Amino acid sequence: MVKPLVGPSIEVNGELRVADVDSTMPLALFLRDVLNLRGTKIGCGNGECGACTVLMDGRAVCSCLIPLGRARGRKIRTIESLGNPKALHPLQAILVEKGAFQCGFCTPGVMMSLLALLESNPVPDEAEVRTALQGNLCRCTGYVKLLEATMTYIWERGHEP
Amino acid sequence: MNREFQFVGMPRPQIEGPDKVTGRAVYTHDLTRPGMLHGAVLRSPHAHARIRQIDLSAARAMPGVAVVVVGTDFPDRRYVNAGPQYADRHAMARGKVRFVGEEVAAVAAETSAQAQAAVSAISIDYEVLPAVLDAEAAQAADAPAIHDKPGLPRNVAQESIADFGGIDAAFAAATHIVEGTFEHGIVAPVCLETNGALAVFDPQTGNMDIWAPTQAPFFVRKEVAYVLDLDPEHVRVRSVAIGGGFGGKSQSPEPIAIAAMLSKLAGRPVRILLNRQEEFLSGKSDHAKKMRVRSAVAADGTIIGRHTEFWVDNGAYTHMGPAYISAVRQRTCNLYRVGAAGFDGKLVHTNKVSGGSYRGMGAPQIIWAIETQMDEIAEKLGRDKLDYRIEVANRAGDQTPQGWNISTCALTECLAEAGRRIGWHEKKNSMPLNRGIGFAAMINPSVGLLYAEGNFACVSIDLKDDGRLRVGTQSADCGTSQNTVLAQFVAEELNLTPDQVDVLHMDTKETPADLGSAASRVTFVSGNAAIKTAKAFRAELTRRLACLWSVPADDIMFADGISSFGTDNARRIDLADAAAQVGTFRVEERYDVDMPRPDPKTGYGDYAATYGFGAQAAEVEVDPTTGHVSVLKVVVVQDIGRVINPLALDGQMHGGVVQGIGMALREEVVFDGGVPINASLITYRAPRIIDTPVIETAYIETDDPSGPYGAKAGGEHAINPTPAAIANAVAQATGKRFRKLPITAADVLCALEEERSLPIKPWIRPYNMEIATARALYPKILFPGLKKLGAAVGRKPRPANGHDYERPSDLEDALVALGRPNRKVKIMAGGTDLQVGLRQGVYAADSVVDISDLSDLKGIMIGDGVIRIGAATTISELTEHEDLLRMHPMLSDGLAKIATRQIRNVATIAGDLAQEKRCWFFRSGAQCYKAGGVSCPCYAVLGDNRHHSVMGAGRCAAPCVADAAPILTALDASVVIADYAGERRVPMTNFYRWSGETVVATNEIITAIEVPRPNVAHTQAFEKHAGWDGDFADASVAVHLAWQEDRVIKARISLGAVAPLPVRAKSAERALAGSWLTDSAVRAAAEMVIAGALPLSDNGYKCNLIVNLTERALRKNRDQRA
Ligand code: FES
Ligand code: FES
Repeated sequence: MVKPLVGPSIEVNGELRVADVDSTMPLALFLRDVLNLRGTKIGCGNGECGACTVLMDGRAVCSCLIPLGRARGRKIRTIESLGNPKALHPLQAILVEKGAFQCGFCTPGVMMSLLALLESNPVPDEAEVRTALQGNLCRCTGYVKLLEATMTYIWERGHEP
Repeated sequence: MNREFQFVGMPRPQIEGPDKVTGRAVYTHDLTRPGMLHGAVLRSPHAHARIRQIDLSAARAMPGVAVVVVGTDFPDRRYVNAGPQYADRHAMARGKVRFVGEEVAAVAAETSAQAQAAVSAISIDYEVLPAVLDAEAAQAADAPAIHDKPGLPRNVAQESIADFGGIDAAFAAATHIVEGTFEHGIVAPVCLETNGALAVFDPQTGNMDIWAPTQAPFFVRKEVAYVLDLDPEHVRVRSVAIGGGFGGKSQSPEPIAIAAMLSKLAGRPVRILLNRQEEFLSGKSDHAKKMRVRSAVAADGTIIGRHTEFWVDNGAYTHMGPAYISAVRQRTCNLYRVGAAGFDGKLVHTNKVSGGSYRGMGAPQIIWAIETQMDEIAEKLGRDKLDYRIEVANRAGDQTPQGWNISTCALTECLAEAGRRIGWHEKKNSMPLNRGIGFAAMINPSVGLLYAEGNFACVSIDLKDDGRLRVGTQSADCGTSQNTVLAQFVAEELNLTPDQVDVLHMDTKETPADLGSAASRVTFVSGNAAIKTAKAFRAELTRRLACLWSVPADDIMFADGISSFGTDNARRIDLADAAAQVGTFRVEERYDVDMPRPDPKTGYGDYAATYGFGAQAAEVEVDPTTGHVSVLKVVVVQDIGRVINPLALDGQMHGGVVQGIGMALREEVVFDGGVPINASLITYRAPRIIDTPVIETAYIETDDPSGPYGAKAGGEHAINPTPAAIANAVAQATGKRFRKLPITAADVLCALEEERSLPIKPWIRPYNMEIATARALYPKILFPGLKKLGAAVGRKPRPANGHDYERPSDLEDALVALGRPNRKVKIMAGGTDLQVGLRQGVYAADSVVDISDLSDLKGIMIGDGVIRIGAATTISELTEHEDLLRMHPMLSDGLAKIATRQIRNVATIAGDLAQEKRCWFFRSGAQCYKAGGVSCPCYAVLGDNRHHSVMGAGRCAAPCVADAAPILTALDASVVIADYAGERRVPMTNFYRWSGETVVATNEIITAIEVPRPNVAHTQAFEKHAGWDGDFADASVAVHLAWQEDRVIKARISLGAVAPLPVRAKSAERALAGSWLTDSAVRAAAEMVIAGALPLSDNGYKCNLIVNLTERALRKNRDQRA
C-alpha cells in the first residue's frame, strides 16, 4: 500500500497552509490561485523562463515544475516574504534605484534566485551571479543594470561598517 | 533653449518600481473577477485548409462549459489594422484557415482545465490545401492563393516602387557598384508576459471593460468595438501593468476580441491567457524578408545611388506589413548621404503567422544590409571603414532623396565617439586573431506621421483632493518608464517634485485619446502634450485662484507646489488647500505634430518633425573551435536630442542591444511545413544573462527645437544598428561575409572550415548504405507514404487526461506502485522533463510515482572501488560535492553545464539519463516514428535537422542530449536497475538501445549509478557546445585518459548529441593507447571520431564541431597531465 503523504500542509513564508487540492497541481498555480500569492509569475509554465522561481527548502526552483504533492512538508518562500512597497528589502531598493528591471514581470523570480544565491554564498563574484541568474529570462533590460545593481548591493553589504 | 533643469536629465527610478519588485504590481494574468470564466482557443493545426464543418456539440455538452464561439458568430467584419484596403482578417477564422495557430473556435468554461478539455472535444473537418511558406515562391502565378485580392499579383498585399532622384542615371554614372542579397527569418518579441485579456461585459449597460497587456489601448478600443459591432463609447480599456511590449503587443491582439465576444455571450467576465506555445504560434512576430541591395558609388566615395529590391513575408494576414515596408524604404533612402534612392518592394502573403511590429520594424536588418555594403565600399575604395562612414554621414541641413529635412544631427560625432570608445584607431592594425570590430549607424524618425492617428497626442492632468496631480495618458507603459518620464515633464514644467505626480496610463475612459506606445513615440509626442497640458494646468489653477483672491492672474506665482500672491500670507496656498478652495479640476491638451504628411503614393516628404541618429561599435571574439561568437563590448552613441531620464534611457539602450545580439546571432522561429517547431523558450534562443556584454552608452545632446525640452525619440534606437555592427565585427574576425541572419555558430564554423575536409568515411558502417538509400527515397516516396500510413495506423497520442500522484515512502512502495496491473505508471524523479512531457503529450501516464525524496535513492557514497550515486541525487548535489569534484572533475564540471540553477536543483542524475528525446518535431507533436511507431516517418530527414544525429541514425535521427551520458560512459560507469525481484547492473555502454531508448523496463527503477574510483594516474575533460550555456548540446565529448608517465595507456572517448546514444569513439581510443599525445596525434585521433558519420542536410557542421571539441578535450587532458 502506498503510505500517506508526509503531511498535508506546506509552509509558505513561515505559515502552515493546508494543501488539500490536486497533488499534481503545479506549486505556482497553488500559490497564485489558491493562496492568492500572485507575486510569483508564470512566463512559460515549463521551467524555461524562471519567472516562477521560489525557494523550496532554501533552494531556487521553478514552482511551475513542482507538483504540489512534492511541496507538502516543505518550506516555500515567495516574493511576498520580502519587503513591501513601503518597506523594501535592501536588495529590492537597489534594484529599483538602479533601474534593474523594466516591465517587472521577471523580477519576482529574479529576486528569489538572487536571494537563494546570497543565502548560500554571501559574497558571490559576477560570474557566480550570472550562473545563478542563467535560468531567469529577462527580455527588457539586457541584464546590464540587473548585474550592476546586484554587484553594488554585494559590494555595499561587504563594506558596511 | 538654454535653461537649467531640475528633473529633466535626472535619473529617476520607475514610479512603479516598488510595486514591481515586491510582486505587488498587477498584470492581466493576476486579475480575477467574481464569476469569471476561463477562455481557451482552438487553433488550426494546418497552414492552409478549408473548414468544411465544425462540430461543437460534444464541447457544448462538456462540464463547466458556458459558451463556445466560432468565426461565424462574430459580425462579418475584419480588423481595420493598417487601413481598410488591407483589412483581411476576421476576429476568428471563417471558411478557411491560413496559418498554423489561427483561431478557429473558443470556449469559456468555469475552470481553465474544463475550457481546455472542451476545446479538445471540438471536431473540425478540414480540407487541407497546398500551403505557401516562402514569400518568393508565393508570387508564382500558379502558387495557391491565400486571399482573393483583386488587382494585385498573386499573394501580394502591397507593392511599393519609387525612384527618388533618378536611380538608373546614378548607376550608369557609378565608378563602383556594390550589390548583395540578404535574408533573415522571423524573430519573435518574447515578452515575458504572454498576451491575454480579461473582458467584462455588463449586459445591463452594454459596457465592455477590457484589461489587456496592450501597447495601444486606442487601437484595442477601436478594433474591438468594430469587429464586435459595439459602440466605441461602451468599450473601455483599463489600466494594468504590462509585462513587456516591443511591438508584440501593439495593434489589437486577437485574444482580446475573443475574450470580449465570449464575455458578451456569457454575460460574465472571461479571461484568456495564452500559453507560451500559443504566443509563438499566434502572437505578432517580426517579418521575414529577402533584400537585394545595390549601391552606386562615385570614384571619390560619394554614394550616388542606392536601390533596394525586397520581398517582405507578410504572413497570413496584414497587420503592420505596410508600415514595415515603409521602414525598410526609409533606411534605403535616408541612411548616410545618398544621391538618388529607389526601391521595389513587395509585401507577400504566406501561410505563416502574421507579421507585427517587433522593435525596429525591420530597420535592424535593412541597416545590416546597408552597413555590410558600407564596409564593402570602404574596402573597395581602400578607405578606413570608420573614416569613410563619417565622411558620408548625414548632417544637419541635409535634405535626403526621400525629402526628409534633417534639422539637428550629430551622426558624425556619434560615429567618431563610438570609434574612440571602442579604440578603433589604436586597435585596427593589431587586432588579435579571431577578434573583430564592426560599426553601424542608424536614423529614426522621431515619431512617424505614418498612421492616420499618429501625429497627435493628448494628455490630461487632474488636480485631486489631496493636492496630488494625476497625469492621464492613453499610451501604455510596458516597462519603458514612459509614465515616469511624463511625470518628470509635468514636474519640471510646474516646478513640483515628480513624487507629487501620479500617472494613470491606458484607461480609455479616464484619459484622453492617443495612439499608444509604439514606434518610440511617447517621449516625443506625449511628452510635448504633457508639457502643454502642464502649462494649461498652471493657467487654470491661477485663473481659479485669481477669482478666489480677486487679484490679477498674472500676479500669482506658482512654485514648489505653492501658489502665492506677493508676500501676502493669506494668499499663499498649497495644492491640497487649493483643491479644497477652488475645487478639483482637470485640464486636457492636445499636441499636434504640425506638418504635412508625406505623399501617400510615393512616400516622399518628411516623416517626422525631427530625426534621431546613432552609431554603434561592437567588438566580438569568434571561437574557431565551435564557431561561437562572443560579443565582448558594444558602444552605443546616440543623438536623441536631450536626455530626459538617463536611467530609463540607458535601460532602453541595453535592452535594445541585447535583443539585437539575439537577432544577430541566434533568434529565429524555425518552421516545418508551416508549424513553428521551436516554440519554447529553450529552443527559441532569446539571450540569457551569460550573453550580456559590456555595454557603454553615450549621448550627444543636440537640443532639438521641436522636441519636448529638446528630446527626440529613443526606444528603438539601440536595436537598429546592433545586428549590423556585430555582423561587421564577425566579418572582420573571420574574413567571411554572412548574408543570412542570424549568423549562427554553425554558419560561422562551416565558413571557417570550408577549406578543411574531414575524413568522413560513411562506408565503414555497412548500414549507412541502407540509410543513404532510404534517405534518397524520402522526398518522393518514403516520407509521403509513411506520413499517410502513419496517419492511418500509427500509434495515436493519448489525450492528457490528468493522472494520479503518489509519493511512496520507500523503494519497495515505489516498486509496488509500479507493478500495479492495467495502469500506466511513470516514475518521476526531478520531474523537469516528465511534467513538461506529460503536458506535451510526449508521455502518457495514469499515475506518477514521485521518488524524488526516497532516501534509498539519494546521496553519494564514496566506496573503496566505486562511487555510488543514488539515482535521485540532484544535479546540484553532484556539482557541489567536493570529493566527487576532486576525483572526477569532469562529472562536476560537466553536470554544471546542464540547464539552469533552478532545474539542476531538482533534476536528477538518473532523470538526465532517462529523459525523453528533445527532437523538435517530436516535441511539437509531429506524428513521427518516435511518437507513432514504425508506420511513421522521421521528420528530420527532410526538415530542419541542425540539431539531429550525424551518425548512427536509422529510423529516428533524434540525438541523445543527456550530458551525463557521454561523461558516465567515458568514466566506465554502470547503472543499477531494480525491480521487485532484485537488482541488475548495466554498463553505460549497454544502457541505451541503438535507437536511443534505455533498457529500463516499465516495472523497473534506476536506483543508482556506480562510477569506478580512479586507481591510476588519469586526466579527464568534458567539452560541450550549445546555443547557450545550459542549453541542450549540439555536440559534446567526454575524454578520460589513463597515463603511465607521459604516455596514454588507456583512452575512453564518448560523444554526446551526435547520435541517438552516446557513442564510444573506439578507433580513436585504440589509436591513443600508447600515444604521447603530440599535436598531430591529437588531431589524428580527433578526426577519427567522425569516420562513420552520415550527416543530414543541415547538420554537417556537427562533424567539424565534434572533431574540434574532441581535439580541445584531448589537449585539456594533456595540459592537466603537464
Ligand atoms: S513559468 Fe516556471 S519557468 Fe517559466
Ligand atoms: S524586466 Fe521585463 S522581462 Fe525583465
